[in-house]
Amino acid sequence: MRKISRLAIKDYLNEWQISSCYILALAAVLGPMMVLFALKFGIVTSMFDQLLDNPVNRELRPIYSGHFDKSWLEQLQKRPDVGFLVPKTRNLAASMLLKSKNAPSIINVELIPTAENDPLLSGIKKYPEGFDSIILSKSAAKKLAVGTGDTIQASVQRHYLGIKEQKQLSLKVLAVANSQAFTREGAFASVKLLEAFESYKDGQAVAELNWTGSQPTNAKKFHPSFRLFSQTINDVEGLQKWLETQGVEVITQVEEIKSVQQMDNTLSTIYWAIAMIGIIGFSTSLGANLWANVERKRKELSIIRVIGFSTFDITIFPIIQSLLTVFFGWLLSVVIYLGISFWINSLMSNQLEAGIQVCVLLPQHYFISLFVAAVLAVLVATVAGVRAAYIDPAEGMREI
Amino acid sequence: MQEFKSQKHNNRLPTSIVYDIRGVQKNREAEGVAFQLTIPTLQISKGEKIALIGQSGCGKSTLLDMLAFISQPTNNNSFFFQQKNIADLWKDRRYSLLSKIRRESIGYVMQTGGLLPYLTVKENINLSRDILDLPEDDTIADLVEKLDLSYHLNKRPTDLSTGERQRVAIARALAHRPDIVIADEPTASLDPYASKTVMAMFINLVEEMGITVIIASHAWNDIKHLGLRRLSHHSLRSPDELKTETIVTG
Ligand SMILES: Nc1ncnc2c1ncn2[C@@H]1O[C@H](COP(=O)(O)OP(=O)(O)OP(=O)(O)O)[C@@H](O)[C@H]1O
Ligand SMILES: [Mg+2]
Repeated sequence: MRKISRLAIKDYLNEWQISSCYILALAAVLGPMMVLFALKFGIVTSMFDQLLDNPVNRELRPIYSGHFDKSWLEQLQKRPDVGFLVPKTRNLAASMLLKSKNAPSIINVELIPTAENDPLLSGIKKYPEGFDSIILSKSAAKKLAVGTGDTIQASVQRHYLGIKEQKQLSLKVLAVANSQAFTREGAFASVKLLEAFESYKDGQAVAELNWTGSQPTNAKKFHPSFRLFSQTINDVEGLQKWLETQGVEVITQVEEIKSVQQMDNTLSTIYWAIAMIGIIGFSTSLGANLWANVERKRKELSIIRVIGFSTFDITIFPIIQSLLTVFFGWLLSVVIYLGISFWINSLMSNQLEAGIQVCVLLPQHYFISLFVAAVLAVLVATVAGVRAAYIDPAEGMREI
Repeated sequence: MQEFKSQKHNNRLPTSIVYDIRGVQKNREAEGVAFQLTIPTLQISKGEKIALIGQSGCGKSTLLDMLAFISQPTNNNSFFFQQKNIADLWKDRRYSLLSKIRRESIGYVMQTGGLLPYLTVKENINLSRDILDLPEDDTIADLVEKLDLSYHLNKRPTDLSTGERQRVAIARALAHRPDIVIADEPTASLDPYASKTVMAMFINLVEEMGITVIIASHAWNDIKHLGLRRLSHHSLRSPDELKTETIVTG
């Protein structure tokens, strides 16, 4: 095996002109295929990345307000396709006035219920749990000229028994959300705080805050809405279907997600159609070359046989040479690919966000392409090898 | 000459029979023309120098290829080589074992060429040793000197004259010190003078190395002075000339 490999390699190098032709022929097929695949992969990946990067694509927002009780929300929460769920309070109650020492104006902010692992607040470790802390939206923090760790004053008002009342509350800013999380002036607060505000506005007492009012009834508490995110982007559709069976209509980005998946499928189909043509072309041309090579080398192969190399050695002779063609052809393809992808990416760089590349291959793609080409080559070379083994050395060595 | 030949026969040791062949046949046919080689009995002993003389087409190459296990006899009753039953190996398709016996025990000099164009002269000569993993010794240096190839070691075969190529082929056939060397008209492509010199070099070397040699040639005059045993054979041709049979014994 080692010896026949050495002979095959020496023959291959000695015939470098013919060998280079085979290498070029392979690179002419494999190089463009790599570029095409990289384009498909790059485009689809960046589209998926954009989908995945933005948690809004996993959000399911109820269109109408309803009556969602605790047990129903718990049931929803338990579903494996649910990533994040918090109940909302009535919109009317979900606002407050904020003021800080650093800024003259008092601003009215929307209150958004939050909890641990809020997809909109990814990267923020702490989350408001009780009545004393919030996370501010970027624009609210800007207006108030405050940052993480500052304390601000909140106030809520109500008309109770014909009298206008208001309550003050000191809140610590746990963090400032990034601008995409919430574009308007808003504050992420615990569900408890929102419920306290809702009770207060309804004229009820809030025991935890020592706010007086009518005693809350024991009637079942309902939430008009909720903030819901699915576990992954692929769960949106299923979750939406389930909610519809529960009579809850939601707005989702499912069409957008589908269109990206559709795009992926379409591009993949086109790519594989082209790749199949390439693979068939490559296999037949390499096969024909190897076969012709064996015919051309009948005499040399017979000589090797007469010296005492075995049938097996003769069979692998063309296989070894085909692997050499594959390796060098692949190397050349990688060089071609790297050149073209660099060019394409720099062409597109002005039109795209920084860091996004349209022509991308992962390390494993290089190895897969090498592996597939090698497997194909060995397959077609085996046919040529078997042909070589059938040469009668008595005739082959006397060939003119 | 007769004297010399019979002397050889007397020296033959009974235990050292290399080839022992009985009732072996090879048929070849192309385009309705059939050829049959029959060997009723053939025995070749260790150290013998055998000449196979006959006109073109009489079946010399056919016989040599069978003796080198390159082509399979059509019909073989009994074919022993150094106590190994070659007939059975062919029947049982033990081709790799046949290859092994060939590379260990046989050197083959072809009529022309037979050199690999992608190896240098030195690599070509060394190939028969290399395939057996033989360690380097002075065999090659010796052969190269005696065959006058010292200046050509790093050349490719294409850069050699025909006579030089034949000498390289001889060097390769002897480099691994095989038990038998088979040469199929090794000097047929050379001019008469070169042919004589190369043949003399060749016979000297095999004598020196104690190698059994079987040479095919169509010109007995060229080699009769070298003391070889000539195998007897006769050819029969059918009246319609479509069938030829050669019978070899010795
Ligand atoms: N491949 C083949 N198929 C059929 N017949 C063949 C084949 N090769 C040779 N023959 C025939 O077998 C016979 C013997 O051929 P062979 O080559 O052994 O002769 P030879 O004695 O070596 O001749 P030469 O001195 O010209 O080399 C010839 O009649 C030839 O026509
Ligand atoms: Mg011949």
